[in-house]
Amino acid sequence: MISEQLLYSLAGVGLFGIGLRATLLHHMLLLRLLALNVCGAGVFLIFIAIAYGGIEVMADPVPHALVLTGIVVAVSATAMALALGRRLEALNDE
Amino acid sequence: MNDAIIWVIAIPLLGSLISIIWSRYASMIAIISNLLALAASIIIVAQVYQYGPVNHALGSWQSGLGISLRADALSSILLLMSMIVISAATFYAGAYFTDPVKRARFWPLWLMLVVALNALLLSGDLFNLYVTLELLGLSAVALTALSDNRAALQAAIRYLSIGLLGSLVFLAGVALIYMGHGTLDLVALSNKVQAEPLSQVAFGLMTAGLLIKSALFPLHFWLPSAHASAPAPVSAALSALVVKVAVYILLRLWVDVFDLVLTPLSAMLLGTLGAIAVIWGSWQALQAQRLKLMAAYSTVAQIGYLFIFLPLIVALPEGPVQDAAFTALLLMALTHGFAKSAFFLSAGVIQQYCGHDRIAELGGTARALPLTTFVIALSGVALIGLPPSGTFLGKWYLISSSFQAGQWWWVPVIAIGSVLATAYVFRILGYAFGPGESVGRVLNRGREEIPALLLALFATLILGLGSFELWDFVAQHSEFLRG
Amino acid sequence: MIELLWSIFDITLVLLLLALAWTTCSTQDVKRAVTLFIAMGLLLAIVWARLKAPDLALAEAVIGAGISGALLLSAIKDYPSNMVSHRSTLIEGIINSLTLVLTILMSWAVWHGLNMSDGVRLSEPVISQLPVSGVSNPVTAVLLNYRAYDTLLELAVVLTAVLTVLTLNEKRVDYEFSSPLLQGMTRWLVPLLVVTSGYLLWVGAHAPGGAFQAGAMLAAAMILLQLAYPSRRQEFNNSLLKILLVIGIFTFLLVGLWMMSLNDDFLAFTPAWAGTLILIIETAATVSIATALTLAYLGGRPRGWEDTNRTSRSIAENGGAG
Repeated sequence: MISEQLLYSLAGVGLFGIGLRATLLHHMLLLRLLALNVCGAGVFLIFIAIAYGGIEVMADPVPHALVLTGIVVAVSATAMALALGRRLEALNDE
Repeated sequence: MNDAIIWVIAIPLLGSLISIIWSRYASMIAIISNLLALAASIIIVAQVYQYGPVNHALGSWQSGLGISLRADALSSILLLMSMIVISAATFYAGAYFTDPVKRARFWPLWLMLVVALNALLLSGDLFNLYVTLELLGLSAVALTALSDNRAALQAAIRYLSIGLLGSLVFLAGVALIYMGHGTLDLVALSNKVQAEPLSQVAFGLMTAGLLIKSALFPLHFWLPSAHASAPAPVSAALSALVVKVAVYILLRLWVDVFDLVLTPLSAMLLGTLGAIAVIWGSWQALQAQRLKLMAAYSTVAQIGYLFIFLPLIVALPEGPVQDAAFTALLLMALTHGFAKSAFFLSAGVIQQYCGHDRIAELGGTARALPLTTFVIALSGVALIGLPPSGTFLGKWYLISSSFQAGQWWWVPVIAIGSVLATAYVFRILGYAFGPGESVGRVLNRGREEIPALLLALFATLILGLGSFELWDFVAQHSEFLRG
Repeated sequence: MIELLWSIFDITLVLLLLALAWTTCSTQDVKRAVTLFIAMGLLLAIVWARLKAPDLALAEAVIGAGISGALLLSAIKDYPSNMVSHRSTLIEGIINSLTLVLTILMSWAVWHGLNMSDGVRLSEPVISQLPVSGVSNPVTAVLLNYRAYDTLLELAVVLTAVLTVLTLNEKRVDYEFSSPLLQGMTRWLVPLLVVTSGYLLWVGAHAPGGAFQAGAMLAAAMILLQLAYPSRRQEFNNSLLKILLVIGIFTFLLVGLWMMSLNDDFLAFTPAWAGTLILIIETAATVSIATALTLAYLGGRPRGWEDTNRTSRSIAENGGAG
């Protein structure tokens, strides 16, 4: 059986690809944002898959910290993008 | 005096926090913070000059466990340029923003931008680079949106989307690198990375992400609207600094980490895109109707010149010729930084006093704003590449390197680019010196015009005449180019 | 046998994850996309737990699914459904093939990478230095000691985003509908969330948890309050809010600079004090993160935010009315 590392890394690559495709295709800001977050989730999954060492062994904590930072950065960027979108709508309505 | 490396990041950060709380004194806080950070950057350059590259492992943990900050000739010079431009733009911004609400919004974000720039230039860790890139992107977008009109918001949203995409692609590369090599430290990686599939794909990903951030053709489409619709001091920082540091990271990665992975073909590809950028950007600049849009397209072209250096540096053998090409790249980047920021600050002055920045309607500006027009002419000289500007020397070495590397085909591109640049600069000056009543009365606004003047002088005179010191400095104190 | 079960579990998780991602990204209906995205976030939390990353599972559930979900849901409140959002077929074809090629290339790289990697990971140095780091949770050690500088910059990112959100828009008109059921539940949930948040902050030193999870949970409690009692608009003192926002980075910086004066190295904690210092930093960071995320959700300028200090004080004195 393929190792868990390989399985989850490939899953991460898959998520990255799916998110990337949707980011490039969507016009609407919100859908693009979701796609970017999916893309980010893919990268995070690659990191955590690398960190995983098996059920008994402790996982490498450095990628965990990196991904935690990444999640926080992602939510901040999402909040900012949504606010910008709202402001543009307000300006368009004027 | 390792502390200067910390202070140059910590002072603007403290300044940003304090300016949130005490928004009434924010401009004073910003000016003081930036001047202090400028002093720190001078100390860093002096330290590198005397003792060579500085490596500071934060926390003194063993390699790879912690994050290290590095300053060598390349990064410290760029840091110094960055702080000079920021300080000048800070003085200008104090006068530019008259609305107290806008001022309260501007200063904390502006100081965050400074933190991001400095932290990025001094970073020695791949993931830390990602975080600084994100901080840089978010603060740049926030500052762009300050103009608060439809064009600015649209440009800001596009800038944010593209920026996030670029960062994520870059991060994917970082993930692959960690997978293969188990460390994020740039120094450690420079010894470990070989040419094999993982590193090659990571190389491609990181390069792609950075190309988005540096707005190389054809990934430049987000730049013109963003730089044109941002407030003038912000545009100055965006064109002069924000895109430059992305090129810096790319250069650092290519030469330090991926030197065994990169191929002449990849360098040639980027060089070709750079050549297209030069011609396309210059042509679009000539067509532009607005001053700031013209300047933004000119930035696209100038970034193209920087990328033309890549295939030459890769092709040339190690030695003084390669060093010269490298330093010429740095010189062009510096000169453009000063010249473009001076240009944008002047465009801001014109926009404020004419009420618009449409080039065709700038008649009479030379009479009304003589100093500003002079600054535009000076920075125009640096943009075209006339002596004694730094760009002249840069292009000179670019041409001679092309011949020495046997890649003569870059020379016509440089020639066409320079001709087009001459055309678009003289177009503005032609209108400015022409008849018309764009402003109405003669104005001399020292506080607003002098910073731009100083920047333009840097570009045109000081860098050109002082370039030999720069040559020695870079050649002796770069961490790379040493195999 | 156990191996086989695990493999089936893993493959199911992965397939489910990819399916959720695909439907999230390809649907045109905004409301459906957001719902699927939140579901995917929760599934990701399960994946993190499976991959022995409990800190991350907590963070993903609270921040990735919870806070992001709340932000997105309030953003789509007034969205028209079913707006077509695709490009021309030719460009679509190019994008599809490019991403497919990239995915294949990356998979190939991953395959090679996992085979060739010399297995050098940073877990050994982390563990060996753990006694000196002041905490026993390795992730906290990395986040707040070894790579504390990254965390400092990350807090700066959060601040930048919140500043933008705060100043960009008018105060948003939120869901005005609330029910007695929600209010009743909130009366139980909010104290529970607050206590759990405090627990997560404390326990982060030696078990999964930490400032980010705690701060986000606190923010979730505040958001819940806002949802349950929408008409009760509390006007906070804006100066206080600004200080709360800033105190995380401020404490972090001051501790770091103090250590620099003592130990000649920024953010180099003296081993004897490391645990206490980290706790202090984490507490301040929790407060800032909670304030930031709550304000980011509420969106828009609080009343009096942009007046000078004098004016905001007078507004707070006069009290806010709804």
